[in-house]
Parts: sequence; C-alpha cells; structure tokens
Amino acid sequence: MKVQYSYLKNFLKTNLSQLKLADIFTQVGFECEIEGSLIEFDITPNRGDALSLRGLEREFLAYQSKKSFKNLKIFSLDSQKNKSIINKVDDAGCGNYHLLLIKDLRKIKQLDSKKRNFLINAGVPLIHPLVDLGNYVMFEMGAPMHVFDLEKLSLPINVVFPSSNKTSLRVIGGDIKDIQPSSLTIQDQSGIQAIAGIIGAEESSVSKETKNIAVEAAFFKPNKIVNQARKYGLATDASHRFERGVDPEIQKLAIERYLFLLNEIAEYDSSELYAAQTKANKKKKVKLNIERFNKFSGINLKPNQVIKILKSLGFNSTSKDTSNLLFDIPSHRFDISLEEDLYEELLRCYGYDNIPISKPKPGPILASKPKTALADLRAAFVYSGFKELMHMPFVSNKSFESLNSNSWTPAQLKNPINEHEPLLRGSLFKSLFSAVNINVKKGYIAIKAFEVGNVFFKSKSSFKQELHLSGIIYHHETPTSWSNRKFSYDFYSLKAEMLNLLKTAGVQEFHFKQTSSCTPFNKNALEIFEGKTKIGVFGEVDLTLTEKLIKKPAFGFEIYPEKISFLAKQNKMKSTSKFPLSAKDMNIIVNKSHTYSEIENTLTKGKIRHLSSFNLVNTYEGKDIEAGFISMTLRFIFQSNTKSLTDSEINDSMKKAFQLLERGLKAKIRS
Amino acid sequence: MQIPQDLIETATLKLKSVQSEAEFFQLRSQYLGKKSFIISAFSKLRDLDPQSKASAAKELNILKSKLTKLFEDSLASIESIGEHDQLDVTLPADPYLIGSEHPITKISQKVIDYFIPLNYQIFSGNEIETDFYNFEALNFPENHPARQMHDTFYLNSNSKSEYLLRTHTSNTQIHSMLKEDMPLYMLSPGRVYRCDSDTTHLPMFTQIEGLVVDEDVTFGDLKGIIIDFLENFFNEKMEVRFRPSYFPFTEPSAEVDIKFGNQGWLEILGCGMVHPNVLKGCNVDTKKYRGFAFGMGIERLAMLYYGVSDIRDFYSSNLDFLNQFPS
Repeated sequence: MKVQYSYLKNFLKTNLSQLKLADIFTQVGFECEIEGSLIEFDITPNRGDALSLRGLEREFLAYQSKKSFKNLKIFSLDSQKNKSIINKVDDAGCGNYHLLLIKDLRKIKQLDSKKRNFLINAGVPLIHPLVDLGNYVMFEMGAPMHVFDLEKLSLPINVVFPSSNKTSLRVIGGDIKDIQPSSLTIQDQSGIQAIAGIIGAEESSVSKETKNIAVEAAFFKPNKIVNQARKYGLATDASHRFERGVDPEIQKLAIERYLFLLNEIAEYDSSELYAAQTKANKKKKVKLNIERFNKFSGINLKPNQVIKILKSLGFNSTSKDTSNLLFDIPSHRFDISLEEDLYEELLRCYGYDNIPISKPKPGPILASKPKTALADLRAAFVYSGFKELMHMPFVSNKSFESLNSNSWTPAQLKNPINEHEPLLRGSLFKSLFSAVNINVKKGYIAIKAFEVGNVFFKSKSSFKQELHLSGIIYHHETPTSWSNRKFSYDFYSLKAEMLNLLKTAGVQEFHFKQTSSCTPFNKNALEIFEGKTKIGVFGEVDLTLTEKLIKKPAFGFEIYPEKISFLAKQNKMKSTSKFPLSAKDMNIIVNKSHTYSEIENTLTKGKIRHLSSFNLVNTYEGKDIEAGFISMTLRFIFQSNTKSLTDSEINDSMKKAFQLLERGLKAKIRS
Repeated sequence: MQIPQDLIETATLKLKSVQSEAEFFQLRSQYLGKKSFIISAFSKLRDLDPQSKASAAKELNILKSKLTKLFEDSLASIESIGEHDQLDVTLPADPYLIGSEHPITKISQKVIDYFIPLNYQIFSGNEIETDFYNFEALNFPENHPARQMHDTFYLNSNSKSEYLLRTHTSNTQIHSMLKEDMPLYMLSPGRVYRCDSDTTHLPMFTQIEGLVVDEDVTFGDLKGIIIDFLENFFNEKMEVRFRPSYFPFTEPSAEVDIKFGNQGWLEILGCGMVHPNVLKGCNVDTKKYRGFAFGMGIERLAMLYYGVSDIRDFYSSNLDFLNQFPS
C-alpha cells in the first residue's frame, strides 16, 4: 500500500521525518520502502486490518504508548431491515450487508485536492467523485465500498452464489467475465450486479448522469474471496483487502463516514440505510499466562507491563487473576486467536531488538550416521579438475525423451514458466550439453564439468526423485604448449579417470560391465556395479542425442551417489612381502574376437602360483600379424611372501599362464 | 658342486633395469648377500673332497670378485641417477584444468559447517512434495492468502493428493518431526521452486532452514544463534536487526536484517518460534517442547558474500564466471 508521506503525517498528527516514520513502521512489523514522496507499506497477509490510514494510526499510537485515537467525524444513521431492499444474504459468504440509498444528488463536486492526490498516489484512478469518495473511505478506514447507480438496479438485492453455471458479466472497464460458481455475487432482479468483494458490473456503475446511488459496505468472508479475483485475472483494492480480512464490525461506521464526507461535495434529498445479517459477532477472548510468556520469550515482564502493552493495541483485560490474564480481542484483530498470537504482540511492542540474547546451545550428541558418498565424490571430482555447474531442472518433451534411458514417465508441470519446457528433467545431460556449447563458443577447448542434482519421474500415482552426479569431458585441440607433448582424451583416459575418482572417493569393490549402449552414450560405454547394484555408467557421448549442441567427441558419466553403500570399511591389513619381485613379459597372439577382459578372467581364475599382478603393456596389429589377430605383451609380476622366487618357480608359473591362455583363448606365443 | 654359468650375465641384465638405489641394494643382496648362491656355496665347500674343494673354491672366488666388481661399477652409475642437466624450471607447466565447487555449494557448505559442531542433523528431503507437507502441515490453511505469496508450480497427477514443487525446505521439518525423536536439532538444505522469474528472482533457488525443538527454547535462544551464525559467516561483528513479520508456520515471526557495507539494512533471513499448530500436527508434546526455526536463501547470501549482482549468473554455466571461485 502506497501512502503519501505528507498526508500520512497530517493524519497521524506527527512531525516525524519520512525516514523516521518508515523506520518506526518497519520496526513494528510493517516493512516500508521510501519512494520519492511516498512510503510503500508491505503489509503481511495476516494484517489486513492495517491496510488503511486508521490501521496504521493504531499501530503508530501503540508504538508511542498513546491511548486510542479520536473518532473520525461521521453522520449517524439508523439502519433498517427491509426485504424489498435487501432480500437474501447467504451467511456462508457474507457477514453483514449494508446499503445506503441516496436520492436526488446534485451539485456534485470533486473531492478536495488533498484527497485526490492521496488517491492518485495510492495508485487509485479518479473515476467519479461518488466512487472516489468510496475509495477514499476504504483507504481511510479499511472497509471496501461499492457505489451502484440506484436507477439501474431493480431491488431487492440478493447476496448469493450463482445458481446457474453459465453466466457472464460485463464488469467495470468493459471486460466480459464468466462467473464462477464459487464466487459470491450481488444480484438484483435483473441479474448479477457485482462479484462480491471484487468488482461491480459496468451496467449498474455510476456515470455522469447518475442522480441516485446505492452505497454498499459489507463484510465478505475471506475464505470465499481468496483466489477468486485471480480466476478473473483481476486484483482490485477491494479483493486485496477482503481476501486478507477486514474488520467485520466497521461497515456501518464506514457508511456513516461516507455520508459525512458526501455532505462536503454534494447536495441530496434523502438518505436511508438498510442492513441485513447484522447479528453481533461473539467477542473473542484469549488468555495469557505470564510465566509461560516469560519462559517463551526469555524476558521477564510483570503483569502490569503486559496489560499496559496490550491495552495500547486495544486488547483489554478484565480478569483479576494476574498470572492468567484474559484479554478481549477487538473485532479488527481477527488474526489473534491463540496465546502465542498475544506473545507476538507483546514482543513486537517490547521490541525484538530489546530481547536479550542467549549463547547458542548445542543439540544432543547423536550416534553418527553412515556417511554418504556424495561429499567425497564431489571433492574427488573437484580435485580432478572438474567444474561444478548448476542448472534449472525444466526441460522440453524432446530433451526428456531423447535422454530417457529408463523409459520413465515424465513429471509434468501444470503451470510451467516456459511452455516449451513443461517437464522436470530425467537426466542432467541436457544442461551439460548446453554448458559445453556455451563455453566452446566462448573459446574454451578443454572442459571438464559435473553437476549434482535430482532427476524426476512419475511413478504410478506419485513422483520419484533420484540423485545423479553427471559429468562431461570435452577435451580437444591440444592447448598451445612449448613442450610438444599431446594431450588427448579418449575412452581409456575416461576409464582411468573413473577408476581414479571412484577409488580416491573411497568407493570399494566396484567393477565395470560392458553394455551395448546406455543413453546418452554410444556403444563405447561401461556400467559401474557395486556388487549387484548399478551405481553408474560412463562412456562416449552419442552426439546424435545432443541436439547439435556438441559437434566433436565428448565423454561423460552418470553416477548414483545414493545407491553406493558407502561403508568406508577398512580391510584387514595384509603383510607386505619383504622379498624381491620379478617381472616377466609374455608376447601372445590372440584372435581379436576375444576381449581383454576374457584374458583377465582367464588368468585371474587360473590361480597361478606367486602371481601378484599382471598388466597389458603393449598391443600390436599389422605387419607379421595375421588379419583378425592381435599381439599383446603381458607383463607378469611374481612375488612371494615367504621367500625369494627361483627362476624355475617363475618359469613354471609363466608356463601355467600360457597354458591357460592357450586352452581358453587359443593364444599363441609370438616368436 | 655345480656353479651356474650365467650368473654374471643375468646380474648384468638385471642391473640394467635398476632404477633406484633401493633396487640396486636389493639386487646386490640377492647376488652377494648371506643367502645368495655365492655365499651359501662357500659354506657348502666343506662337504666336498679336498680336490673338488680347491677347484670349486677357486672358481667361486673368481665369480665373487667379478660380481663384486660388477656391482661396484654399476653403483657409480646408479648414484648418478637423479643428476640431470639443469632444466629451465621457469618454463610453463603442462596444460591443466582447475576444478571447483559451485559457489552455491560452497556457501551451503559454509552454512552447514557452522551448525555441524552444534550437533544439527542434516536432512535434504523431497523436491516434489504433496500439498499437505508443503502447506497444510505448516499451518497454511486451504485458501490462505500466504499461499498466494508462493506462486507454486503444480504437477499433473492422477492422485488424490495435490503434488507440487516445494516452495521452501520447511516440508523436511514436518517429515523429520514426524519421524525423529525429540529434542530435534536439524538443518534442511535443498532446492526450492517459485513460479517467478526476473533479475532478482529465479524459479529455482537454494534454501537452508534450521529447526530446533527442545525444552525451554526461547526467542532469546533464536536471536543468539542467528547473530552468532551471521558473525561467523561474515567473519565480523555485525549490526543485526530483528523485526516482526509473518510466516504461517511461526508465531512470533521475524525478518532479520543486517547492515552490510554501505548498503543500509538488508534482509537476510526469516525466523520465528514454531507455531503451536505445526508442533501439534507433528505429534510434538507442546506442554514439554517449544521450537524455533529459521530459513535463508543461499543465492542471496552468496551474492552478498561474493559481490555478485545478477542472480542468474549462478545458473548460466559460464566458465568465465565460475573460474572466479577457486576451490
């Protein structure tokens, strides 16, 4: 709510500067911003009562510990009940309904310039003096009003929910709105004349020719108004107030104030006030236990202090028991219903900043929970030169489908920000591809990046999220270097990197499994297993899935940190050998149809004596090697824990190794 | 006695592949140590008849002196390993990449690091949540105007429950209060979503919320931990202001402002005493326990901490931007 400082100052009868005034209101809970000659109040949704000059005045006086304010001048009227004026009021939506009928208006003048400026600065356009006056009273007292042209109404009025589903209404401004069945409406004998608490009909609105008016002031219940204006694409000053709540007992007073001010700008013949549903509301009472309050707040207030503070806000205590006080809650404080609500009022006035500070207290010591793999994996990737990226999770249908390796049903938003990206990601790769594209365009030639985030999918009638750690490596033209060494990155670099990272991060006992293809990788990919659980996959990116964002080979990985059982267990230490190790090489020729893992398995399962490890040190194809065959140099390392090995022991083991390869894979020794 | 003829040959060969002094001495002990063939052969001489003994002894002595000489000679060359020509060590290094955590990860971790020694447990929770955990259990009744403050992303679902992207990490507090024993000291970091996008708002951002439920918790405790945290975080004495505000799940509620640089008061986090309806809804005995909660936006903290002016930079993948946050 925007309020002109000069007007507010006069209303509050204060000389405080604009800055000071804004500061005071901020301190009591109404955040203010200064905009030129205006103060903009950010009133929290629970304090609809403060959306008026009177509401602000109450807070200001309480802050200064001054007694309640003087009443505004009014023109008193008695109200009457008359079914031929107000016939039916649905009490589910309306607490009271007042209609002031004024006839034979003439010599209508503009509001005075101060009030006009006040309205303009508050963002309320001037429409017609009779309407402007209603708006002014709303800003002054907090009670929204509506002014009908009486001649265009066919009384009596009914305040009801629409009975037929298909009704439309031309509202003030000319737009046609389809009336929602959940909207409370003001109807006359010809149909709907207003959507309660939101906007009136164009047809019955005030015009230059208007001579007779019906001024409405009503209490529409917040739960029937909230979200309604939105359904019509509207947000009016009235709906803003009604959905937050207005004082349910102020309507008659507002009408009387309207009439008083009307006398300043027009002449008229008669005024009659009609009202319905005016049953007095039950007075709310809330109790407050002083001892509990002091324990809750950490301060120590005496009963008389509590009574004084709350009285300044309009809460009067009638009880004699000083430890358990009972307070009457004024009608405008519909937000107060619990003891804790009063605590807030007390602390607000006492000043949050005056509450003494306690030293931070620790919680109880708990048994430590198993560590998750994420923190260590993240650290390992960072130390390996990867940049962590973060992205929004919204993707297009096309991106989701092209990267959908698990045939997931996507999680779809009802109200996406961008209609082209209505889904939540099922993979982190789309963003990683974009990241490469953006940075390649900027001139980067070597990029290693990863992202940690949830991916989402629909599962039966609910949704699932899964944590992924995905990365991409795009490593091309050798960066200019004075040394002529080449830095190229291929599948085997990636494999080494994955081994290094997983082991450094402490992931134990994992193995790789060949996979025909695993989105978004081509057939050069390996799955990572820990026991029988797949904990990830890595490989060469299938460039056809990158939506042309990447044009040269790239590599990537996807790890599922939550699936890694991260026990970080310490294996029993093995004693290390004190005896020398011997290395022996063997050149074999095998058919290329055999993979290296077959050689590995054959040798590992063969239980070769004294074999401590073996490794592939060279491969060769071409001259002297038959087509379809490959020559491999295997290096065997032998070592015993109990003795130095003799040549003959080593030779026996080498012989055994060759026999295994010969029998299993028809390997030959390359001479 | 049979004396192997290729002893010198194999020793020569093996010496060629020696890379370090350690390897050298290991090899020497293999050929000339107590358990070596030569030395054990000498001790076996006494079993031979005098003639064979003399010729074997002679042969062994020649072999031993040849081996000794061989090892002495190669020790010299071993010792020269490591002696190289002086390089121009000032030439540039081979190309390398510097990894780093995302600034949002760093700031989140910095926040978490303050609370871990105070025994706060960490729970991350679900980003897709039901209306119940995101609003209802947090004392946002249906149609409550506060639900409009959060313009919420809703999901298409055929379930009775309304599913949405959580608008705060407070949903995790509800799950934790229902599951964990009291007293509870917890922190819930994670991503949250609002249907909102401009230069100062993103549809997704990161939040960390804290919750304490314990006996005798006071508003003064809440103030104490917030001020201490902020001073630790910014590593300086801070001017901190608490002012009344409104959140449906706390009563009283406060916004916390800090004086930062010469920018005047800046809103930095929201907090309050947990609303009794929230505690009751989570089956917490409100006669025994009270609670306080606080929540902060990590992007906002990061913007202040690093002096970033456009929140969108964090999610731009721009390496020029990210390179400014070394690990």
